[in-house]
Amino acid sequence: MTRARLTLVALAALAAGVGAALLAAGRVDEPYQTADPPLALLVGWTFVASGLVAWWQRPRNRLGAVMVFTGFAWFATFLTDSQTGWAFTLGTAIQSMYLVGFVYLVLSFPTGRLRGRGDAALLAGAIVLVTVVEWASLLFSDSHAVLCDRCPPNVLLLERNDTLANGILQLQRITGVVLALLTVLLLVRRWRAATAAERRSVAPVLWTGSATVVVLAVSIANDVVDDPLGQLGKWALYCVFASVPIAVLVVLLQRRLARGAVAGLVVELGERADGADLRDALARALGDPSLDVAYWFPNGDRYVDRDGQRVRLPAPGAGRTATVVERDGQPIAALVHDAALAENAELVQSVCAAAALTLENERLQAALRARLAELQASRARLVEATETERRRIERDLHDGTQQRLVSLAMSLGLLQSKLDDDPGAAAPIVREARETLALALAELRELSQGIYPSLLTERGLGAALDDLCRRAALPATLDAALPGRLPHQVEAAAYFVASEALANAAKHSHATEARIRARVERGVVLVEIADDGIGGAGTGSGTGLHGLADRVEALGGRLTLSSPPGRGTTIRAEIPCA
Amino acid sequence: MRVVVADDAVILREGLARLLTEAGFEIAGLAADAEALVSLVEREQPDVAIVDIRMPPTHTDEGLRAAKEIRARAPATAILVLSQHVRASYALELLSDGSEGIGYLLKERVSDLRELASSVERVAQGDSVLDPLVVEQLVGRPRRGDDPLEHLTAREREVLSLMAEGRSNRAIAARLFVTEHTVEKHVKSIFATLRLPPSPDDHRRVLAVVTYLDAR
Repeated sequence: MTRARLTLVALAALAAGVGAALLAAGRVDEPYQTADPPLALLVGWTFVASGLVAWWQRPRNRLGAVMVFTGFAWFATFLTDSQTGWAFTLGTAIQSMYLVGFVYLVLSFPTGRLRGRGDAALLAGAIVLVTVVEWASLLFSDSHAVLCDRCPPNVLLLERNDTLANGILQLQRITGVVLALLTVLLLVRRWRAATAAERRSVAPVLWTGSATVVVLAVSIANDVVDDPLGQLGKWALYCVFASVPIAVLVVLLQRRLARGAVAGLVVELGERADGADLRDALARALGDPSLDVAYWFPNGDRYVDRDGQRVRLPAPGAGRTATVVERDGQPIAALVHDAALAENAELVQSVCAAAALTLENERLQAALRARLAELQASRARLVEATETERRRIERDLHDGTQQRLVSLAMSLGLLQSKLDDDPGAAAPIVREARETLALALAELRELSQGIYPSLLTERGLGAALDDLCRRAALPATLDAALPGRLPHQVEAAAYFVASEALANAAKHSHATEARIRARVERGVVLVEIADDGIGGAGTGSGTGLHGLADRVEALGGRLTLSSPPGRGTTIRAEIPCA
Repeated sequence: MRVVVADDAVILREGLARLLTEAGFEIAGLAADAEALVSLVEREQPDVAIVDIRMPPTHTDEGLRAAKEIRARAPATAILVLSQHVRASYALELLSDGSEGIGYLLKERVSDLRELASSVERVAQGDSVLDPLVVEQLVGRPRRGDDPLEHLTAREREVLSLMAEGRSNRAIAARLFVTEHTVEKHVKSIFATLRLPPSPDDHRRVLAVVTYLDAR
């Protein structure tokens, strides 16, 4: 809507008002429709003016247009004051049209869209009532008999039938009361289901609208029982009716005022003490007490709360919406708020902009806490891994070496007893004992190699990896370019990554071969183990890889896994060694 | 004498059976876990059950629990528990359920066939047998304040250890190359120094001595 068009509509409204005033001034006596011209004109202009403001502010929202329509339809009712037959008849035919605009306004606030079948049915009922039913009665109404004493003739009169005309009018009024009550019911139900933020934004319109509907119902009922209230009923109706567009304006103004809250927010942010205040300040500025703040944690590729615990943003359509706050193109935080706030995107955006710097500070702290939590978890896992490893070694010693040695002791005991009384039987026992001893030694060697490969101590990573490839359970090749010795923790971590990766390749991946690449580039040791197996490996807790990732990270390094299904597994460790 | 053996490692189970056969015992059955052992004992009512402490399913102290169950269900069967580690607490747990016919030895004691055979026979007779390593742990543990054991002579301490191992006065006399009468005198003196009630019979004094030694 351009400014020119808005001006044009405004001028048209002015003209319509003046026309209406002239019509009202020219009426003979006993006003049939309009009660008090100044007040009634004000009602019309209030609607048109509010509508134009809304149209200008929210061009995509239908409400502005609806209010303008209602205003003009209101002015049209003044045609019933005309002394010309056709104008009088037209005025009578469309005298209740403004109610359609009003019902639409109340039902669709604040989005301008109807929200379901109940809404649509109510609106359709209202339309039928003010058009078809109205016109049907007009066909049989003689002006003087049914409408008013000194009105011009009804040009649409088909055949005078007072009983039918009055019957249809009564039916129209009773149905009108029922529809009005249904509308109130619907609005009450909507109010009860609304969230705090929704209530805040619809309250003024919902209340004035409901009041209008109630007064309207009373005034129709008043007509049915022969007008005991008289002018008073009409006055009340005009007053509450005119308050509806004002309420719409108030809500609009509130939203403008809410932007003033941004200024308040800036002041508050300057004085606040810590993150809890920040959330409260934002909740106040946005008028959503349920507001949550989630901070972006880039290391973990996720959002966290103030304490560094993971937060999931709400899914679309969950009644809550997340607005991401960005700074220099990077997300820093997300405000998780009531979905109703999305209606007021500008406010949310200005609040985000005002709070960005503070949110960034808060984010750094939250990220620090998240990092700390990660470190604590990783430390706990390292302790756990050590425990598990020790238990495994104890089991291996108990089930292997110790048993062989006890068995050896038994052979020696037996041998001693044989030497005394059957020396001939001694030879096989000695052979048996030697075999047991050889087995025990082999097992012990393997075990100690698993605890810490001696080659790693003696010759370093390259030699140990080479030996690892030779002993691997699947064909493995090594491509190593390593200069001399590296810090021993780095060598050990790199070695165990390779060893675990090879063991996994042999055990789980159905691989036919594996390749190890080891390099030092710019002070970083890079060990990559690739197999040609089925892929699909994970680093879930409980896998050896998880523990190794902790070990690598403890040295400031990084362990990455790439294991697309069907395309092999590549594990890559980068550990700084300078 | 009829013996059953329970150990989850085949190599040790079979080895023990062979040794015991060599030593003249009759093997009434073998079991690989505690559950099988208890039902085997109930069925065969052997004189002695030789039990590995660590067996499936949890590989912790199944043998101890099996021993308790055998005590309850087949009181006539003596029990000799073998373990690769010995712990004083386990020894006390075993003895406290009735010390008659209970033994607790390090597994590697099997290398001395004669000693093994004698231990099996002693528990079968109702004696208690405790591994010297357990006794050493108990006697040698540091004590706070005035240690009554300090007031014993070297010889008396030797006698105390042998008593704790479950040996009779006669066996102690034979070990130390003294007369049984001398041993009796030592025992009386030890009980007086440690302020233990007068010596009960050989069976029950093991528990008394071990409990005393443990009570610090």
